[in-house]
Amino acid sequence: MKKWGSVITAALLTLSLVVAGCANQGQSSGASGDEIAVGVLLPVTGNNATDGKDMQNAIEMAVKKVNDGGGVLGKKLKIEVADDGCDPQMATTAANKLVSQNVVAVVGGYCSGATLPSSGVFKNANIPMIVPAANSAKLPAQGYDTLFLINGLTPDQAQTAADYMAANQAKKVALIHDNSAYAKDLADFAKASVEKAGGTVVAYEAINPEEKDFSALVTKLKGVAPDATYFTGYYAAGGLMLKQFKQKGVSGLFLVGDGSFSEDIIKIAGADNAEGLLITATPTAEFIEGAEAFTTEYKATYNNLAPGPFSALSYNAVNLLADALKLANSTDHDALKKAIKETKDFKALGQTISFNAQNTLDTSNFAVLKVTGGKFTLAK
Amino acid sequence: MDILVQTLADGLVIGAFYSLIALGYTMVFGIIKLLNFAHGDLYMLGAFVGYSLLSMISGSGAGLMGIIVVLLLTMVIVGAIGMGIERVAYRPLLLAPRLSILITALGVSLFLENGSMIAWGAQYQVYPVQLSHDGWNVLGAQITYTQMGLVLISALLMLGLHLFISRTLYGKAMRAIAHDQTACHLMGINVHKVIGLTFFIGASLAAGAGTMAGAYYGTVNFMMGFIIGLKAFTAAVLGGIGSIPGAMLGGLLLGMMETAGTFVFGGSWKDVVAFSLLILILVLKPTGIMGEKVTERM
Repeated sequence: MKKWGSVITAALLTLSLVVAGCANQGQSSGASGDEIAVGVLLPVTGNNATDGKDMQNAIEMAVKKVNDGGGVLGKKLKIEVADDGCDPQMATTAANKLVSQNVVAVVGGYCSGATLPSSGVFKNANIPMIVPAANSAKLPAQGYDTLFLINGLTPDQAQTAADYMAANQAKKVALIHDNSAYAKDLADFAKASVEKAGGTVVAYEAINPEEKDFSALVTKLKGVAPDATYFTGYYAAGGLMLKQFKQKGVSGLFLVGDGSFSEDIIKIAGADNAEGLLITATPTAEFIEGAEAFTTEYKATYNNLAPGPFSALSYNAVNLLADALKLANSTDHDALKKAIKETKDFKALGQTISFNAQNTLDTSNFAVLKVTGGKFTLAK
Repeated sequence: MDILVQTLADGLVIGAFYSLIALGYTMVFGIIKLLNFAHGDLYMLGAFVGYSLLSMISGSGAGLMGIIVVLLLTMVIVGAIGMGIERVAYRPLLLAPRLSILITALGVSLFLENGSMIAWGAQYQVYPVQLSHDGWNVLGAQITYTQMGLVLISALLMLGLHLFISRTLYGKAMRAIAHDQTACHLMGINVHKVIGLTFFIGASLAAGAGTMAGAYYGTVNFMMGFIIGLKAFTAAVLGGIGSIPGAMLGGLLLGMMETAGTFVFGGSWKDVVAFSLLILILVLKPTGIMGEKVTERM
């Protein structure tokens, strides 16, 4: 028994040392010392890891640029990456991890479903969060004063899609979503926008994103002969759906939301089937005037990889944060929150950022892109 | 009319995949009374092994012959893996209570899923070979050569299996072991060898389905075996678990009912239709369409 007692004591001592060590690390990763810790919350594993990685690359690039330019407030920015896996539970855990690391602010949030719970964690810790991608209307509806969205909102995107369809005489519209919070929202707003523009929704369907065979649904669509079909989910299902849509020879335009804005959709559907595909999205770096330097640098840094759908926005988020830190002249949460809120006409890649009462963009930044010859181009 | 034909044709393709996977479920259950829940993941493994092999040869222009060779090769490789799984995970538990071995099967399933995620990544991989989508127009429905080919290959595999079970000595041994394992031991049949062979055949059929599904749909990912494994299990129960013709019939029926159900109720009801059917069968006729009445021996 005695022997056991000493073993346990030794174990506890070791444990307390480890914990103390961690706690110290936690202290130093805050704004003390010569570094400012910035949390990054992205899906770096799972189905959306590709986009998550692109965003992380752009964030790292922006941080490097800020630091090379002397940093902010005489300190260097340092990022702490946490993986939300596009999953609400994982996101909550990851957000708590960042809070425990005493980050000054957070940049990130890709899936709305995962950003909803994590934004709540940051609100409770009073940590400002700048979201470069997730754009469900549910996010600002929470009324958090710590949450700032620099991507256009879902209703804006739905409106862009509806306007394009109306301009191209598409009256009968089929809407398909994949049951994710984000996709269903977009489909619902699109339904309202289409009906407001005088069109009719001839089919409103949900699919399971894990599914590979959409033949029954596509046959059903063929039966109603839509002028346009709008798929609001992610590219993995979108690509397969587009492929089967073309194989069965369904009529009309095929549009996808920005969740499907990825080179992979062309790969999955095949170049022939993707020809003429329309995408509503916030334009990526390639389509932004004045972002040539960014694109060139990105490709040079990440062995010729093109920037992803949210790379430019993620880059903007870091620069906006750096700007707000200067404005606040402090790393205090309240001062920083106030400084971000008061940002006026901040010139960034492809957007000019000012916040309205909801902490969302004053002017939306959505456009319609088209696939021609296996490449994305701006649709006329 | 065209919609009916189209639904039937699409259901037939999905059904063929279900049947091939359901056969493995049914054979393994018939011989050692185990519901091998890792079986759907062998389908996923087949898709990935086929993907890797095709990636290797697609540079040298993989024609139809190449695909057939890869298909057979994948079936042998994954068949061997299936045998290995039986040897390592199931054989030590053959005399243990059925529940222990069932839990082991779930463990094997998780192991295969996450192993594949580490080996091939978590993203959707695009198959290097895409099958052609030309075809005929039958009564206004679009039926492709590929669909025909897939159904034909599946039918050939099932016919081969049927002949093997009914005409060969090993087939006879399988049927005997399903009947009474202890007596077979006493008669000098190498029971372990035959059980291993059963796993080999079951796994290779699932792997064949996996490779074909990969080439047909064009993308694969590490979770693709999960839901289809459950569906194949449903198909096996529908046909009568333990009955080989039952598994074939059950797969085809389930495929058609699913497509018809999707058409009538909408896309999000697809899985609901399949699993409602499972519940109905378990309540109304637990032995399935072709299953025999078995007395429980616990």
